[in-house]
Amino acid sequence: MRRSGIKENINKAVVVSGLVKNFEVLEKGARNIDRIKSLLKPKKKVVTALKGISFSIGKGELVGFIGANGAGKTTTMKILSGLLYPTAGFVQVLGFNPWDRKREFLKRISLVMGQKNQLWWDLPAIDTLELNRAIYEIPHLTFKKVLDELVEILDVKDLLTTPVRKLSLGQRMRFELIAALIHQPEVLFLDEPTIGLDVVGQQAIRDFIYQYNRKFSATVMLTSHNMSDLVDLTKRVIVIDKGEIVFDGKLTDLITNYAKEKIIKIYFSGDVNIGSLEKICKIRRYAYPEAVISVDRSLAAFTAAELLQNFPVADITIEEEGIESIVRRVFRGEAVNG
Amino acid sequence: MVRLTMYKYFQVGKTSLKQEIAYPINFVMWRVRNIIQILLVLFLWDSLISDPRKVLFGYSRDMILTYIFGIMLVRAFVLSSKSMDVAGEVARGELSNYLIRPVNYFFYWLSRDFASKVLNLSFVFVEFSLLFLILRPDFFFQTNIFYIGFFIFSVFIGILIYTLFLFITSSVTFWMPEMGWGAHFLLNVVLVEFLSGVLFPLDILPQAIQKVINFLPLPYLVYFPLQIYLGKQSTYELVRGFVVEIFWLGALALFLNFIWKKGLKVYESQGR
Ligand SMILES: Nc1ncnc2c1ncn2[C@@H]1O[C@H](COP(=O)(O)OP(=O)(O)OP(=O)(O)O)[C@@H](O)[C@H]1O
Ligand SMILES: [Mg+2]
Repeated sequence: MRRSGIKENINKAVVVSGLVKNFEVLEKGARNIDRIKSLLKPKKKVVTALKGISFSIGKGELVGFIGANGAGKTTTMKILSGLLYPTAGFVQVLGFNPWDRKREFLKRISLVMGQKNQLWWDLPAIDTLELNRAIYEIPHLTFKKVLDELVEILDVKDLLTTPVRKLSLGQRMRFELIAALIHQPEVLFLDEPTIGLDVVGQQAIRDFIYQYNRKFSATVMLTSHNMSDLVDLTKRVIVIDKGEIVFDGKLTDLITNYAKEKIIKIYFSGDVNIGSLEKICKIRRYAYPEAVISVDRSLAAFTAAELLQNFPVADITIEEEGIESIVRRVFRGEAVNG
Repeated sequence: MVRLTMYKYFQVGKTSLKQEIAYPINFVMWRVRNIIQILLVLFLWDSLISDPRKVLFGYSRDMILTYIFGIMLVRAFVLSSKSMDVAGEVARGELSNYLIRPVNYFFYWLSRDFASKVLNLSFVFVEFSLLFLILRPDFFFQTNIFYIGFFIFSVFIGILIYTLFLFITSSVTFWMPEMGWGAHFLLNVVLVEFLSGVLFPLDILPQAIQKVINFLPLPYLVYFPLQIYLGKQSTYELVRGFVVEIFWLGALALFLNFIWKKGLKVYESQGR
């Protein structure tokens, strides 16, 4: 039993078990009088950001980590990269305890946070990269090879010597990514890497993440509120909600799990009383002559029959809920299993 | 291994310098401001103590001029630091940028600081030579090579101690993000200003007070190095001074290590 457990861990890049993280917040109060009171007698409130989550990620896997705002995604990633001290639970990344922040550990991971920047503002990106070469103790030849490859894929070769402050957001993000990857980390934590980018920029970063994962068989954990990121990149997703993991499995399974509703599209042939339509189903969109409604899966056939009977219907189709709207609901924090 | 590490911090210093001279005009203007400041102080004191035979608190005219000039120099080197904003970086969560990379945050800032000091030193050297050639002020020149060596060594340790001060006061922000600046102001501005010999030479204080102060780390920042340069320290005082100073260096380093580790445990890595 035990032995097989250990064996399993060898192939795991990330192992998390019963992870809890509490934050202590001083309550300040909204009114000035409350603030003065809180100075004299501070009231502490404990926020439990992670309520004992467990999961593991195999080497070379690319996993999407999704959930609504404040669900605990960033907190988890910060613990996995050794920035935050866990309140309780077991965490292991590449066999290391992240909190020790051993040099050999830090050299093998990377954390990219959308808006955090490590590039030196007044200097060209190449200077930051050269500095990282020294910090990560990368041999010159390796550095040159990897750098050439990265600037090629991300198409920023000509911008290496432009001061960072003169780059556009998207160009800067690409260099941030290069700076985070120049040491070829085996484990990559990406926290909303496409935030603030235009569609082309997002696509470039996505393609790049995909290639990086393939080429270096790197383990990638990715959070994003951008649905295309997930649909394009990840097979497996972990859904976190209010500090708890509510789904861990294939993206396609998530969709079947989630798809509690069916979508019915109707074209009317005459006037419709919206009020009576609302009584039998949920209207998503209505623009005469078209209406899009959603109903519980089990009621789909019944509702369709009802509609045909009581309304002037020219055409009607029943469809599965699209992946996009499901993921959107996950982002909104709607419960997965009802 | 060790060589690679040295190289790492050398590269940090080099990049920092590049950043510093990224706006050359700003840099030059800042140096010009320094020269003007030096000239003002020099003229002021030169006219205040015009009588060359007058002795003030046991300091002759050339020694006072040298002390005042020396304060400006040593102060500019010891009581200024690139790591001034550690508290801000902790409070804003920017410390995370360093924690996730294999680099020591303390040595990172120290390297940047030394690089900056080397740059400024080379400018000071040129400026000083020019000033001296033009104005020919009454200065006391230490000719004993040992005193000069000890002077440089004590300035070096002074820089380390002051940097430790800064890091220790900045650690307060781990627990009280709003307090960083207050702690810095109390310790590094008020206390240091009074007891490091910046406002007045400490040997004008009563003996009893001096005895106590000498066991604090503060006089070793500015006062002690200058006394060495002026040749006013007996061998006994010199040895005692270095023993106390190096003791504080070790004690403060241990304390920082202790408090920093505790702080990281409550560090919230704020900002996203
Ligand atoms: N330093 C902190 N102090 C107090 N509470 C915090 C702190 N950091 C995070 N939290 C709380 O912990 C919870 C999880 O935050 P986290 O940043 O991990 O969310 P997230 O899933 O990354 O959200 P988003 O999608 O908005 O980035 C939130 O309720 C947040 O308010
Ligand atoms: Mg987040």
